[in-house]
Amino acid sequence: MEVVVASSSVESDIACWDFNTGAELLRYKSCASPNHGLVSVGDRFLASSQLRHTSDGGSVKYWAWSKPQPDAKSSQDEPIKPLAANREGTYVVGGGVSGTIYLWEVTSGRLLRKWDAHYRAVSCLRFSDDGTILFSGSEDGEIRAWNLVTIFDDHQSQHEKYGHLLSFTEHSLSVTDMVLGFGYDPVIVSASEDRTCKIWSFSRGTLLRNIVFPTIIDAIAMDPGENLLFAGGRDGNIYVAALNTAKTASSKYGLHIINCFSNHSKAVTCLAWGLSGNYLISGSEDGMVRVWDAKTANIIRVLKHSKGPVNNILVIRQQVSHTIPNSQASSRRHGSSLPPPLEKRAYEADKDAGFKAVIGLQGTCNKSTDAVYITSDVMECQIRELQQQGSASAEMEIERLKHENKRCQQMIQQWKKMYDNLHQFCVNELVDGDKGGAPNGNAP
Amino acid sequence: MAPTASAFDHVKDMHDSSLKPRLLQSLIRDHLPDDNLPSRSSLDLSNLVYLLKTHSLLSESVPDPTDHKLIAPWRSAVDSWLDRLFLLLSSDMPDKCWGGICLLGVTCQECSSDRFLASYSVWYQKLLSPLQSPSTSQFMKVASCASMSDLFTRLGGFPIVKKDGTAHAGKLIPSVLKLLDDDHSEVVWEEVLRLLCIFISFFPVSVSRHYDSVEDAIASKILSGKCSFNMLKKLAHCLAVLPKSKGDEESWSLMIQKVLLSINRHLNDVFQGFEEETKRREGIRLLVLPEKDPPSPLGGNTLTGEASEEARKRSHSSLVSSVSALIICCSTMLTSSYPVQVPAPVHSLLALIERVMDVDGSLSHSLRLFMTAMQQEFVCSELPRLHSYSLDLLTAIFKGVRSQILPHDAHIVRLLSVYLKRCVLPELRVKVYSITRILLISTGVGVAVSLAQEVVNSTSVDLNPIVMESSASVKPSEALLQTPQSSNRKRKHGTLTSLEMHNSSNLEVGTTKNHTRCSMAVQVAALEALEALLTVDGVFKSEGWRSNVDLLLINIATNSLKGGLAGENASIYQPNEPTDVCSDIQLAALRALLASFLSSSRVRPLYLAQGVDLFRRGKLESGTKLAEFCAHALLVLEVLIHPRALPLADFSNSTSNDERAHHDYQGNFYSGNLKHGTSYSTNIHGTADIAPDLYRDELYSSWIETSKKVEAPGNNLGKTMQTGEPSKIPAVQGNQILSADASLGKENVARREQEIVAANIEDVEIRENGDETFELHEQIFGRAMENDPSYPADTNISVAENSKGFGIGMIIDSDTDSIPDIVDIGPDSDSE
Repeated sequence: MEVVVASSSVESDIACWDFNTGAELLRYKSCASPNHGLVSVGDRFLASSQLRHTSDGGSVKYWAWSKPQPDAKSSQDEPIKPLAANREGTYVVGGGVSGTIYLWEVTSGRLLRKWDAHYRAVSCLRFSDDGTILFSGSEDGEIRAWNLVTIFDDHQSQHEKYGHLLSFTEHSLSVTDMVLGFGYDPVIVSASEDRTCKIWSFSRGTLLRNIVFPTIIDAIAMDPGENLLFAGGRDGNIYVAALNTAKTASSKYGLHIINCFSNHSKAVTCLAWGLSGNYLISGSEDGMVRVWDAKTANIIRVLKHSKGPVNNILVIRQQVSHTIPNSQASSRRHGSSLPPPLEKRAYEADKDAGFKAVIGLQGTCNKSTDAVYITSDVMECQIRELQQQGSASAEMEIERLKHENKRCQQMIQQWKKMYDNLHQFCVNELVDGDKGGAPNGNAP
Repeated sequence: MAPTASAFDHVKDMHDSSLKPRLLQSLIRDHLPDDNLPSRSSLDLSNLVYLLKTHSLLSESVPDPTDHKLIAPWRSAVDSWLDRLFLLLSSDMPDKCWGGICLLGVTCQECSSDRFLASYSVWYQKLLSPLQSPSTSQFMKVASCASMSDLFTRLGGFPIVKKDGTAHAGKLIPSVLKLLDDDHSEVVWEEVLRLLCIFISFFPVSVSRHYDSVEDAIASKILSGKCSFNMLKKLAHCLAVLPKSKGDEESWSLMIQKVLLSINRHLNDVFQGFEEETKRREGIRLLVLPEKDPPSPLGGNTLTGEASEEARKRSHSSLVSSVSALIICCSTMLTSSYPVQVPAPVHSLLALIERVMDVDGSLSHSLRLFMTAMQQEFVCSELPRLHSYSLDLLTAIFKGVRSQILPHDAHIVRLLSVYLKRCVLPELRVKVYSITRILLISTGVGVAVSLAQEVVNSTSVDLNPIVMESSASVKPSEALLQTPQSSNRKRKHGTLTSLEMHNSSNLEVGTTKNHTRCSMAVQVAALEALEALLTVDGVFKSEGWRSNVDLLLINIATNSLKGGLAGENASIYQPNEPTDVCSDIQLAALRALLASFLSSSRVRPLYLAQGVDLFRRGKLESGTKLAEFCAHALLVLEVLIHPRALPLADFSNSTSNDERAHHDYQGNFYSGNLKHGTSYSTNIHGTADIAPDLYRDELYSSWIETSKKVEAPGNNLGKTMQTGEPSKIPAVQGNQILSADASLGKENVARREQEIVAANIEDVEIRENGDETFELHEQIFGRAMENDPSYPADTNISVAENSKGFGIGMIIDSDTDSIPDIVDIGPDSDSE
């Protein structure tokens, strides 16, 4: 089931809709998420950092699919803004207002690594497709790429370990959103408050294209074919820029921008691309979520979230089993289906316990129902065994036994001879000599 | 029997249901061993089972269940079949009794559900007696175990009788364990283990009651050192699935902890003197938390101190077998499914693997005095097996924890890099390469950047046998850089002795096995590793090694296909005929070559032409895997050669305006340069299909070509050009004329510029404000004409570069032309 999830920056619910029918599903209570703060962890549950924080600390809440109340709440040293999870939902990263990036292991909640990534607050985080590279955008306008493999490498020096792989520095103001293209060498598209979207090449580490928009862009989405870039502006328009073409004509909106559509009365705050079909989903400050047909730019559906602004939209493929626990085992597990909350203190890498990698996370509990019957095979085997008696191997065995027999006979002869000799000797001793203490008591 | 009335009572055909009871009756009559008659040949039995199964003679299922005329005779036939089986089972003759047991097992599998549910407990009793009586022969025990397994497998399919089944299984377990203890035949053990595994998966509760005794029985067998290795593997598997019977986190963790401890303790004995003292402590320290008591040793509930001491003194060889079996047990535990999530002790597992792989049979100086040469000889002889299974364990870790391997990636990369350098034995090398492949694919770029150089170095050593011949001092890279021709010449007399380079390592000196064959297997593995590397990391930070690898791959691919394409006609007598390996190496080489083509991102792959030729030749070998792969490769390369950035919308049924935008777009990639486009169609597709006027006026005809493209949406090839009707697309033609008039000298530039229009969503715009269309185009063409070099740097498309760099009608140098990219860098930066 394809589900659209939306959250707001003011304290309200996380709303979910079935994408195909538009029917509203369970609402998850009390969440005020910052931009990019809502994340679905491996489609198993929802996590969101929180804007309302007690004193100076921040917090991250979890919601299980089946329960409207947040299940686990963790408090952190500083407010966490963006969150991201890798594809399988085994690691969660969060960006702090101080520019620190935190990396937690989901199954144990342990804070495995934290490092100073930026000079100012981290504004968005993305995992690469394969989960080994992390991209972070910051309010200082810089985008950095981190190789998580080296970050976990204990043998590297502190400096090398937390050194970034790449850095893109051409934005002059805060980075507001970032999307990654497809593949092992993705393009990185970033939006910034400096009214530009920039397209970067990962492998070359350079700027490929700069698109200047008439307004500040807060949200971007790319179509899966990477032809088009949709950029949601603060002026309430969604601009369509061409990625794939040559030098484009300057339309009335600007270079590379080929279209613009709008039905938002207020600023567009987030964009997402549907999983099935070509649908663009946009969230606005007016509290509405709109689903657009990306081909025709027509609104297909309007979903009302709340009065407050919508600032996060996720599109998730929800497993049916999440709502209907099917087996006894999973229902037992379901009660505490959420992993422990994210820890605040850095996990000291005492190797005694190690990282807590878990087997069976993906729930591959598909019982091998195709029973294998064996009697007939065993029977065939035994029949073959029966037939082989008297075959070549037996012949060889007979030959071997014959030889053995011969050898044994020779041995017997030898022993016999020795016995006779000994016997003779003893008899001679007894007859001839005195009563010598003959030691061979076994002679008759 | 055989009333005359039915002698001519023919059935309709072989699918007629009424045939089945009759067939069954005649089988009972003619083929089933009789109590009185002397027994027939056992071959008859196998034929009987074949007939039963193919015709499902025992299934009693008819299309219409109310049809009594069919059901009744069938039911009575099955009844009499069962009666006869019981008769056989109670026979004194062992062979008849054996036949009865086997056939009852088949009946359990084949009969209808109703009948099975009604009578399984009777059958259970019948099968039980031969298992419990001590006088039964092993042959019968095996058969009754197998039949019992089938009975319980079938029973496991019915949830309603779960309780009853559990009770039955529970009753059986003690006697089954007794068999495992008393009997000395591995055939019996094997069946007993199979039965236990069925209990574990279908009736876990029954086993959990006897958990400890089952564990002890299996563990003591593994540690006894009296089993063949094949048997040990099965024991290990059974031990690994045993925790499923409880199905909770603790029992799984405890089991793996026990197994690991046991492995480490045994290794202490085996590796004494071969490793540092700290290492052996480390292995155990990771497993047992200081504040906790260590768990009881594996199988420790029965093994008394003396017994384990005795086990300790056993020959080293059986020790190594047991350790290998336990490592297999760990692997199975990691990869088989488990009802709940369990934490995998990745750290201790990795420590174990590292511990084993670190030992290479060399002695430290201080210990040299305490070790006899014989001891060292022994350890060296057994090490490959241990290494091999530890590598398997590493693979199992990847499979088990998937993305959670991330924190350990750096560690594993180091381990593998070191091992790649040291490892010599072909079998192990193949394994290391395959692990490298798995690691690269499952993680990605992050790992690839650190592992790339190591993989490239060692694969080039393995794939470059000449290096060793000429001189050891020649660097691999130098040999790599030879032109294809010269290296071919040299390669001919190259005996593939690549591995000898590593002989400095003291792990192993002189593999006297069939050298060629082994190193070919290594080469296949090396090629596969390269393929994975190119797939994952062909682009990012790969400048240092890319060109060498590309050259190496085209050379190998050319070479492997040189001696003719190896058919897959391996003779049945020698299934491992070298031709088999030959075709493997061809396939691997071509796969790696394709990966190298596809992962080039900046310039067109240098050897594309040669490569395409190889794929074409390979495709001719119809019916082989090679041909299949080559067909796939050609399809994929077609996309590389004509990149189709397919637009979002399907324009085939929209307005003509949209069509124009769409098709011009496609056409542009195709004829990015006039001359180039022409030569392409002539060279590859022949000239026959192309309109003759193409040659009269290239500029004009290329326009025609573009317009014709319109008629064949989705098809870029010239072949279909003539098929469409021009009348359908007036707008397009109009547009062309317009553009041709407007800027005759610069059409190709203009055409390129039209690409802008291509962006698909634009059709939205056009629809919304249709009056703007024309204006937009004027803009385009206007810009095309003022196409000056000082145009802003963000006009970044490679096609645009071409127009600038080569002008009209210039032939693109195929070596330096950058392939059309999604978004390309600005014109000023393409000179890198």
